[in-house]
Amino acid sequence: MSAAPGLERPQVVSHAQQALNYTVFDCKWVPRSARLLCLGSAARGTGLVQLYELRGARLELLREIEKPKPIKCGTFGATSLQQRYLATGDFDGNLNIWNLEAPEIPVYSVKGHKEIINSIDGVGGLGIGEGAPEIVTGSRDGTVKVWDPRQKDTPVANMEPVQGESKRDCWTVAFGSNAYNQEERVVCAGYDNGDIKLFDLKTMSLRWETNIKNGVCSVEFDRKDINMNKLVATSLEGKFHVFDMRTQHPTKGFASVSEKAQKSTIWQVRHLPQNRDIFMTSGGSGSLHLWKYEYPAQRSKKDSEGAEMGVAGSVSLLQNVTLSTQPISSLDWSPDKKGLCVCGAFDQTVRVLIVTKLNKI
Amino acid sequence: MPLWLREHRWHQTPTAVFLSLPLRGARATPANIFCSERYLKVSIPPFLFEAILYAPIDDTNSTAKIGNGSIFFTLYKKEPAMWDSLTLENADKEKLQCLRENAVLKAQQKAKEETEAKKATKEEHKKYALEATMKLEEAERKRIEDLKEKERQKVAEELELWKNQQKDADKYKSIQKDGELHQEIGQLKERKNEKMSKTRIPYEGTSKTRPKPTKGCRGSCSIFSPNAKEEQLPSPRSAATIKVNFTPRVFPTALRESRVAEEEEWLHKQAEARRTISADLSELEDLKEEEKNPDWLKDKGNKMFAMGNYLAAVNAYNLAVRLNNKLPLLYLNRAACHLKLRNLHKAIEDTSKALELLTPPVPDNKDARVKAYVRRGTAFCQLELYTEGLQDYEAALKIDPKNQNIEKDAEKIRHLIQGTMQGS
Repeated sequence: MSAAPGLERPQVVSHAQQALNYTVFDCKWVPRSARLLCLGSAARGTGLVQLYELRGARLELLREIEKPKPIKCGTFGATSLQQRYLATGDFDGNLNIWNLEAPEIPVYSVKGHKEIINSIDGVGGLGIGEGAPEIVTGSRDGTVKVWDPRQKDTPVANMEPVQGESKRDCWTVAFGSNAYNQEERVVCAGYDNGDIKLFDLKTMSLRWETNIKNGVCSVEFDRKDINMNKLVATSLEGKFHVFDMRTQHPTKGFASVSEKAQKSTIWQVRHLPQNRDIFMTSGGSGSLHLWKYEYPAQRSKKDSEGAEMGVAGSVSLLQNVTLSTQPISSLDWSPDKKGLCVCGAFDQTVRVLIVTKLNKI
Repeated sequence: MPLWLREHRWHQTPTAVFLSLPLRGARATPANIFCSERYLKVSIPPFLFEAILYAPIDDTNSTAKIGNGSIFFTLYKKEPAMWDSLTLENADKEKLQCLRENAVLKAQQKAKEETEAKKATKEEHKKYALEATMKLEEAERKRIEDLKEKERQKVAEELELWKNQQKDADKYKSIQKDGELHQEIGQLKERKNEKMSKTRIPYEGTSKTRPKPTKGCRGSCSIFSPNAKEEQLPSPRSAATIKVNFTPRVFPTALRESRVAEEEEWLHKQAEARRTISADLSELEDLKEEEKNPDWLKDKGNKMFAMGNYLAAVNAYNLAVRLNNKLPLLYLNRAACHLKLRNLHKAIEDTSKALELLTPPVPDNKDARVKAYVRRGTAFCQLELYTEGLQDYEAALKIDPKNQNIEKDAEKIRHLIQGTMQGS
């Protein structure tokens, strides 16, 4: 976008960039620090975890850990702030939790799935929210499993296809609604045939499902530690949907607004930790779009039978920028510094960006 | 012959000559005046005035004012001198001619030079304008770049500040942690053991939800560790499984996998088939309304078949086909009847027709195709054309590999073929 006179919109400034010699699948900030992790797959088929520190305008490699299997995804969501253990899912279906100070032997390890773990999310750690720390993994074998690091070998919840049903790859998972008490928790999973399913872990049941026609690449709740507020689901062919999760209609489910952003797949969506109405989507054309959600005047209304149904608001584009020619497959906001984010793309570069003027939104 | 204008009046100063020429009602424009160094002509058809000037004048600076029915010339002399007269006297014709020609040539040259000079200045102006715009754009770009740079620097500084803060915070925390750890190691170990034993209880339950024991456990946990620094973590959830179904679609493939084109074609064909009614209306006039509906006739046929009245069924199907010859199911069912009636050739014909109509092959018409192949295979076998029959059975198996009956029949036929081959 051309710079508006006065540059009043938030600007995405490229702060540092690092060329890597392996394919990076996921990048995450280490909480409470200026360090970030890159997870990926080296050319020789092994997994790599690299720890970088942001020094000035450069990224300095602090540590490199190699593992036998390529690593697809990782999260810090389920560890405490003191421990900061990393949970990773790899191409073989193994879920491991590592102590980065002593990474030779995992703190927790289980062969959770028969096929690659596509997506992982953690909740209950980092001082956010309440309840047991749990990790959810979604895999190509069509199952979504919730693990508790204190329970070995068996998941505490398993969402699997009915016997005989043809399975669909699960591409993304997210935790949500870790609110009021320690029991509320939901898991949202997106599949490659466009299904989005919402599982309620308190009642161990399927709470809602829908189909958005195109494979779901990424789902995320705007906050994990409050009552479900909004859910963004992105898909192939450049579309994403924002669901208003406050009001569930008995038949129509949740209200949503959808936007078609780019011609290509939208790989990731990430909400700004400091403002839950701002989120960034990353696309297959190497571009990043920054969006703001505006709530409607009334969030719910009654339909003809008197049942409550939600009203979706609107989404507006704040800024967009193209950084690369390859898809940007991973994106993470720093929970400590507003506007600082890291993104990893398939052109084997990881970039640290700063988004300015987010205070003025 | 032009009319000469002779009533001109002139007077002079040492540097200039003033000439006034009345026009007898004629209108003058600058184009009518031709002036060069020594020659002056005014030609307004039919009037003509010309003067070979006494001495050269500066024709670029000289002016002519047109107005009030006369032209007033102000001619600046090249050399300040008093002229004896306006025009040269005693000029013979040749000289005059020469002078005229020279004058014209000179004028032309001047004109050329002028245009060239104009062109040159125009180009210069253009260049100048271009450079000016480029400079402006450069300036604009630079300004934007500067703004961006400033932002970047500001942001980088903030980041540095924040980082340092983090570092300090970290250091402080690590110092604290060390202190605490020493205190707590003993306590932690104790509590961990307790927690592990408490959490064993929920595992033993295999039902989906057992909220009561876990709650109770949590309660007891809190009693045991009131002064704990670490968070009160609830025990792990009791394990459970949620079964899911995936969205069934008419064509259960994801958008990117679907063979939508083929499926569209199939649907289109079906829709078309419904619409065509190939009818010889004359014969059908005496049929009842419902008897003209191919679907109704098909149902009738099916009922007959079920009752064992195969001939009646065939009649019903025949009529239906006459009404609409594009419904594959009619042929399929009629083939079944023919099989029962042992009209094997007709059966083969009908199944072939049905198969023709069942293209393009899509999951929707899978069952119909399997049936068609099986029936045709049966017909072939009954005609003792076992190889063709086997082919059809194998085709059916390919579509529906899980069907045990087809498997068995195919095996039987294979045995038969081998038997006859061995025998002969």
